[in-house]
Amino acid sequence: MRSIILSTVARAMLPILIMFSLFLLWRGHNEPGGGFTGGLVAAAGVILFSLAYSPRAARRVVRVDLKTLTGFGLLMAAGSGTVAVFAGKPFLTGVWWKLAGPQGSTIELGTPFFFDLGVYLVVIGVTLSILFSKAEEEERP
Amino acid sequence: MSVLLALPVLLPLVCAATAMLFWRRLRVQRTIAVLTALGHLASTLALFVEVRRFGILVARFGDWPAPYGIVFVADTFSGLMLVTTSIVTLAVTVYSLSSIDADRESFGFFPLVCALLMGVSGAFLTGDIFNLYVWFEVLLIASFVLMALGGERKQLEGALKYVTLNLVSSSIFLAGLGLLYGSMGTLNLAQLSVRVAEATDPGFVTMLAMFFLLAFGIKAALFPLYGWLPSSYHTPPTAVSALFAGLLTKVGVYALIRTFTLVFTNDPTFTHRAVLLGMATVTILAGSLGAIVQRDLRRALSFTIVASVGFAVLGLAVSGGASQELATLALAGTIAYVIQAMVVKTQVFLLSGIVRRLSGSFDVARIGGLYASAPGVAILFLLGALALAGVPPLPSFIPKVAVLRAAFGEGLGVYAGVALLGSLLMLGAVARLWSHAFWRAPMERPHESDDDAPVNLVFRFIPVTGLTVVLVLLGVGAGPVFQVATEAARQLLDTDGYVRAVLGGAR
Amino acid sequence: MVTPALAILSLFTLGLLAPFLFALLPRHAGKLLCLPPAFWCGWFWSKTPASGQTWTSPWIPELGITFSFRLDGLASLFAILITGIGAMVLLYTEGYCGAKPGSGRLYGLLLLFLASMLGVVLADDAILLFLFWEATSVTSFLLIGFEHERANARRGAVQALMVTGGGGLALLAGLLVIVQQTGQGRISAWGPLAGDPLYLAMFALVAIGCFTKSAQFPFHFWLPNAMTAPTPVSAYLHSATMVKAGVYLLARLSGSLGGTEVWTWTLTLVGGATMLTGTLLALRQTDLKRLLAYSTVAALGTMVFVLARGGAEAASAFAAFVLAHALYKGALFLVAGAIDHTADSRDAFRLGGLWQRAPVLATASTLAGLGMMGVAPLAFLAKETLVDGLLSPPDVPSLIVFGVMAAGAVAIAGIVAFRPFFGKADPAIADGHKPDAPLLTGPAVLAVLGIVGGLTPTFVFERIGGPVAAAIGGGTDPHPWALWHGFGAPLAFSVGTLALGLAVYRAWPAWIARAAPWPSFGFDRAYDAGLRGTVSVARAFTRTIQNGRLRAYLQTTIATFLVLVTLAAVRWNPSPQIRLDTALPHEALLALAMLLAVLAAVRSVSRLAAVVTLGVVGFGVALTYALFGAPDLAMTQIAVETLTVILFVLTFYHLPRFARGSGTRTRAVDALLATGVGATMAAITLVASQRLLGTPISAHFAENSLAEAHGRNVVNVILVDYRGLDTLGEITVLSIAGLGVVALWTFGRRAAKGGSA
Repeated sequence: MRSIILSTVARAMLPILIMFSLFLLWRGHNEPGGGFTGGLVAAAGVILFSLAYSPRAARRVVRVDLKTLTGFGLLMAAGSGTVAVFAGKPFLTGVWWKLAGPQGSTIELGTPFFFDLGVYLVVIGVTLSILFSKAEEEERP
Repeated sequence: MSVLLALPVLLPLVCAATAMLFWRRLRVQRTIAVLTALGHLASTLALFVEVRRFGILVARFGDWPAPYGIVFVADTFSGLMLVTTSIVTLAVTVYSLSSIDADRESFGFFPLVCALLMGVSGAFLTGDIFNLYVWFEVLLIASFVLMALGGERKQLEGALKYVTLNLVSSSIFLAGLGLLYGSMGTLNLAQLSVRVAEATDPGFVTMLAMFFLLAFGIKAALFPLYGWLPSSYHTPPTAVSALFAGLLTKVGVYALIRTFTLVFTNDPTFTHRAVLLGMATVTILAGSLGAIVQRDLRRALSFTIVASVGFAVLGLAVSGGASQELATLALAGTIAYVIQAMVVKTQVFLLSGIVRRLSGSFDVARIGGLYASAPGVAILFLLGALALAGVPPLPSFIPKVAVLRAAFGEGLGVYAGVALLGSLLMLGAVARLWSHAFWRAPMERPHESDDDAPVNLVFRFIPVTGLTVVLVLLGVGAGPVFQVATEAARQLLDTDGYVRAVLGGAR
Repeated sequence: MVTPALAILSLFTLGLLAPFLFALLPRHAGKLLCLPPAFWCGWFWSKTPASGQTWTSPWIPELGITFSFRLDGLASLFAILITGIGAMVLLYTEGYCGAKPGSGRLYGLLLLFLASMLGVVLADDAILLFLFWEATSVTSFLLIGFEHERANARRGAVQALMVTGGGGLALLAGLLVIVQQTGQGRISAWGPLAGDPLYLAMFALVAIGCFTKSAQFPFHFWLPNAMTAPTPVSAYLHSATMVKAGVYLLARLSGSLGGTEVWTWTLTLVGGATMLTGTLLALRQTDLKRLLAYSTVAALGTMVFVLARGGAEAASAFAAFVLAHALYKGALFLVAGAIDHTADSRDAFRLGGLWQRAPVLATASTLAGLGMMGVAPLAFLAKETLVDGLLSPPDVPSLIVFGVMAAGAVAIAGIVAFRPFFGKADPAIADGHKPDAPLLTGPAVLAVLGIVGGLTPTFVFERIGGPVAAAIGGGTDPHPWALWHGFGAPLAFSVGTLALGLAVYRAWPAWIARAAPWPSFGFDRAYDAGLRGTVSVARAFTRTIQNGRLRAYLQTTIATFLVLVTLAAVRWNPSPQIRLDTALPHEALLALAMLLAVLAAVRSVSRLAAVVTLGVVGFGVALTYALFGAPDLAMTQIAVETLTVILFVLTFYHLPRFARGSGTRTRAVDALLATGVGATMAAITLVASQRLLGTPISAHFAENSLAEAHGRNVVNVILVDYRGLDTLGEITVLSIAGLGVVALWTFGRRAAKGGSA
């Protein structure tokens, strides 16, 4: 059963939810949020889409293989910790850069953000692969 | 910080993640797995050498000082456990190359092994009790999936028991952690050690100690908490059960030894001399009695694991006495015993796979004639079996002598007697296995195995032979081995040294 | 310097190489392999240890274990016997087994056994001695079970291992107690131990070890069952040392443990009982090997019996008897094997007239038989020396026991050594093949040595008797050995027992022919019953504990938790003031709601309802986080809870409604345990919250997170920075869980398809 309302909403919500999840990820260091919650929100968007259309369609929207996404997330988290090692600091030490933001402000960007990005990717990869695999099982007779 | 301390965890993590990127390319995954195991061995050996040179090494993650950040602490005991873990994992990885079916491989067998290795290494290195919990979770989930992978009914039943009881362990661990942090305000083991020693209410600490004793006791498979082990170890493929046999319970034993020498030493009369001693003694008996009656080779071997855990914990229990000298002796015995047990268990479990491959069955009543038809296997098995029974000059003998001597010295002759009775039962159990499976005339081939395609067994013999060589070397080199074990025991008993290394001036 | 170690090591290495040598030169392996032991025999003979020589190098200093060896009179006697008879047996194996495939393994095992035995008698360190002791148990296990496809060979092997292995563990305990008490690992450093508070334990444990090894009553039953071994092995096991290892150790420790009432009485009674049992049981047998086996039991009893007495005289008599017995019994075992080889039978009742076919063998057998009868010089000397000891002052009960044993030996010697050669042949006995030189050399050499040794008593005494007396008797024997003690009581005793023995020999055939078979002897059965009992106890125990039901394991685990915590609480005996009045109304309300939800979940009859009510609990937890100032945790908890509920609902969709699998009783137990755990946890948590024993590190995080870690959200900073490693571990957990779920679903689906197809 495919509801037009649902599919329209889902199509519209997907980018919004993804944006929101990225927002959560970004502000996580200072306000409530973070990679884990962000990842869950992003996954929720895709799941909504898959309910509206089909898991297969949702997989097409995601494009990348979910295992690759998960593996990449893990590598990103581990890799962000390794940056410090090349600077002669212990593993997982935060390395921070000051970037010029708009209107003369400065944005602090550090390896912990990339660590959180890794968490974000892993959460999306795992949540989606579990739910897709379950939903695809439902689909089959 | 020396990156060396992080490598045993990082290397398997990166390799597991990389293997996930090459999901469909099994050849790449296999290569990665072997390289991981080799790299891990190299890194742990290097770490061990460093520890021997410089004493306790500490690594602060994120450059945060303890107790605010997480530290890894490597002492001689951790170093020994890590090197042995590497050896066991390398052997199992090589063995699995020719024994794990493509189906299991394509569902992530190798990344799972890497993750298990990561969890075990983390547990041996961490100096933070919550971090220990995390590594327990890593190895629990990895081992659960490995155990269930393949989805045979028998496997799932075993895996269910395994995961349920281990989740109970995790819950108790977590509850204990919450209470411990709530009352002590810290998670760093060194600081916990200091705060427990200064605690105004040691009775409360003892109560908390029970949480950890129970959580680790389940992991270690102590009586009466070992139900999960013999119900599950005989169900997955041989390589998997061999890996578990070598590593899993030993992590529990390690955690018991670490926490009950460093933190919960406030009331050894109760914790060590009553609870641990009683549980260990019954565990020895229960394991050996169980081993006598099993028909399934791997189930019998599973019970020998239980018995050996009992023996290892007996040493820990004995070490809770007043005499520093006897405590050192008992702990050194325990450490040397655990090290060789890891190698022996893996060796016999891997061998059980070869036996099954040659005879078509794990059922002792249906195997037969291997002494004549496969003398090489017979010799390897004999050495393993004698090591299980603690017969000299195999490496389990000297540790046993050390623990028993300490027990006699502490006036615990009765417990030593029970341990010896357990040895006799174990001797009977392995003699029975031997005389059935190897001496008896061959049966008609039962052919229950679906893995009968002609396979080159070289990749299975190389690791088993390698482990046997390690075993013999550990036995022949009992002098140096015991010297290192004694050093490790001294470090464990010198809690001030540990605290100084981790916290420096800041207590 | 390290010559004893070199002897052991060289023979051990030779044992490992023997199978390969056999593969190269199957026809000459025995001739070649017997040379090294023969060399060592000569070497040991050439060393005349006056006071004992010791070699030591450190091994495990932390345990006080050293590589120390000691060669004194006692060790020298046994070393000579082990290597000498070992050489003969190896040579004999060539004749007995020929080039039969698998014999390489036999050579190898024999040499390993020989090396281990040598280790037992040469080791000075207690643990080192035990190491070799166990090695003899294991190698003899493999030797007894050599013809492993026969069920009784396997049984005999396992039995020998269990009895000697069990005794071995007692011995280990005994040795460890001594080492612990004396602080000395070296046996030669142990003084008299009779005054030690643990003396009784030491003696009892060591004695059990020695008695089991030396097949003393009531452990004698394993030895005849070990007869299933191929003949060279039997010879070696019985005559040379394996069984004498126990006697050796008793002799070795007689200085430390001996000299007490307990020692004298125990050894006398056990030795005497063994002598009588062995003799009587031997006369019931018709199989040559079993006859010899039981007579060996009797001889071992004699040795223990002699050791009970202590002193230099007894030591010298002990030496004479050990030497004489080793020579004639070794020869007779080899002869029995040769008879088996020649006539394809070992039935003493039916064999006869073999002297024509094998005259050399008949001669050797006669000489050895005369030895066993106590007529051949060396044996005569030994017997006279023994009786001399018993007569001064006269010890009547001992004389009677010894007389019975000696007369029995005469009869048995007649049956095994003369009857097969000179008796009347049963026509049913088949013609075999003639024994060849390697088969004859061993028995001949041993038998002749038994004669020659007795003819040069002073020389042998100086080499053997004196040193042994010095080593364990604590002095010199005032009466050096002499062949002729003159006409006197000892000679009369010898003549008397000889006459009695010959009478028994004459009566034996009729007795065997007439006698109804005895009920099989009790101790062997007791062993079986013990084994069965152990197995059924083990089975019952294992079935109860390891019953395969997850619920039972869970109950046990939870109950253990409750018991341990309660024990700790009782020990602690606190008087905690639990205050509940600090809770605010809305907090209490939330707690109540969660409690109700839990009750509803427990009572619900549908899975869906259970999941939903549990969801309520989860959201309650999230609300609690929010109330206590952790919005991040609350958010995450809500997200996770939602996904969990969805997943549960998806999964349960296909499952049937609850079937009540458990009865009221199990549910009651479950309820009790669950409530117990809940109440305990609640109580402990309340107590813990009022018992802060140190400043929490969280304060540090709250203060420093922005300055040090560039973030205001403490929770997130902890997650990605302070404790980033934890998070790294947890995302690994997550990834693996993802892999696992997908894999399990796929395998499960396949299994379901396979099942329906």
